[in-house]
Amino acid sequence: MLKLIIIAFLFTNFHTKTTNGAIINKNVERVIDLSTQLVKISSAITLENTGKDAESKYIITLEPNSIRNLSFISAKDSYKEELKVTETKNELGQVFSVKLNHPLAASRTSTINVEFVLTNSLVPYPSSIVQKDKQLVRYFGNHYFYSPYLTTKQTTSVIVNTRSIENYSKLKPVSQSDSSITYGPYNDVAALTVDPMIVHFENNAPFLSVTRLERLIEVSHWGNIAVEENIDILHTGAKLKGSFSRYDYQRDTSNNHHSIKSYKTILPAAAHSVYYRDSNGNISTSQVRARKDWIELELRPRYPLFGGWRSSYMLGYSVPSYQYLYKGVNNQYALRMRLIDNVFDDMHVEYLETSVVLPVGVTNVKLSTPYEVERLSDSIAYKYLDTKGRPIIRFAKRNLVEQHIQDLEITYEWQPLLLLHEPVLLSIALYLLFIVVIIYVRLDFSISKPEHVKTQ
Amino acid sequence: MVDIETMSRYVSPINPAVFPHLTFVLLGIGIFFTAWFFVYEVTSNKQTRDIKKELLVSLVASIFSGFGILFLLLSVGIYV
Repeated sequence: MLKLIIIAFLFTNFHTKTTNGAIINKNVERVIDLSTQLVKISSAITLENTGKDAESKYIITLEPNSIRNLSFISAKDSYKEELKVTETKNELGQVFSVKLNHPLAASRTSTINVEFVLTNSLVPYPSSIVQKDKQLVRYFGNHYFYSPYLTTKQTTSVIVNTRSIENYSKLKPVSQSDSSITYGPYNDVAALTVDPMIVHFENNAPFLSVTRLERLIEVSHWGNIAVEENIDILHTGAKLKGSFSRYDYQRDTSNNHHSIKSYKTILPAAAHSVYYRDSNGNISTSQVRARKDWIELELRPRYPLFGGWRSSYMLGYSVPSYQYLYKGVNNQYALRMRLIDNVFDDMHVEYLETSVVLPVGVTNVKLSTPYEVERLSDSIAYKYLDTKGRPIIRFAKRNLVEQHIQDLEITYEWQPLLLLHEPVLLSIALYLLFIVVIIYVRLDFSISKPEHVKTQ
Repeated sequence: MVDIETMSRYVSPINPAVFPHLTFVLLGIGIFFTAWFFVYEVTSNKQTRDIKKELLVSLVASIFSGFGILFLLLSVGIYV
């Protein structure tokens, strides 16, 4: 009987895999946004179930050469509700399985929206330019929507946000309007068809990568959370050929330049005590502007950044704890905070390491993150007036973009009486000093007896 | 995992806005008792010295100064 169940189970497993072929992409409208340093592909897919059984799973995948640049993926149904995407491996390599909220009955259609964000996919060409040149980049893609299913009809529009398009591959029908190229409609494209698309165009958007971001969050139950970010940035655009002329740079007043003069960081609305410094000390070229719902920080590095140039700095601020810290029953506490925050718009972070310093004496620490991260070994930090040390929860992740700005949750148990640890420590230290004085005045180090004792 | 939605917001036991005032009051009292202690130490001699009074004055001085220093640290932004 058991054997039969196992066989039946195996069969159904196999069955679902093959019957997925019963789904076809009835219509795909794809938008490839190349106007920033990231490649954002959003596809509206109308599915049709041509089989006999209801389907609840849809496979999405990417071309083999672009899947390694994939940073973020999300799928939404037609009601803008998030669908669960799980990464799996099958004979196609790395694929993503989307669980549909409502199983798709036979011969029914449904619409889902899939969003991909790719990094490092715009290649500067020429790869090095002089200071006054414009930055040109190439995008290598696919004219067709890459899918394991048959696609009946599809159109793709490529947004480049510039009029100066050097060249683009022309697979008819294709048309170019102002700042976008429209490919298609193409009919009845077989599954997994690749036809290389090349777009070569001008892109002066900031090509700035954060090569390493160390985010340190320090929780104090006296009512403050301190955040400090150590940031290494690199201009990943076309390399600067020849020398840099400050004179030409000052004379060039156009905003549309491939170098990076300044950029904006968004901080939480309640942030205060902001500092911006590097290994030399304070960098004075920063400006804090309070907006209604956030604080905008305009940061200007010590020098403009050209292709291949690096810079690093430290940015810190404090936020009141009542916005992020929660208290439950039985001395349960929870911290809910962003595990990465905005560095600049359309950012790309190659490596993130987040450390959360918890108060002295916490126990039973549990971490939950919105997506998978690599948990590093916990360590202990010694801060002011620490005897025991504070536990640090550390984790890391590679290749992040704006869509990864989500909340982490850490729950722990902690005795509120431990708040008195520091003042009691200070009082005991002072009291010991007083006792030393009390003992000292009772000691007599004189060789001869004082006068008033002799006369007695 | 405990559900955060059921938890209430954590508010620190003392409002950070009163940290500077607390610093002044506590450190003021602490310095007063410290001064009293040292004045007593240098003005008394072996006959007039009272160990109980010394210990009591220094205890009060150290408690007030200890808390005063803590709130001084907190009000300048060193969140211990």
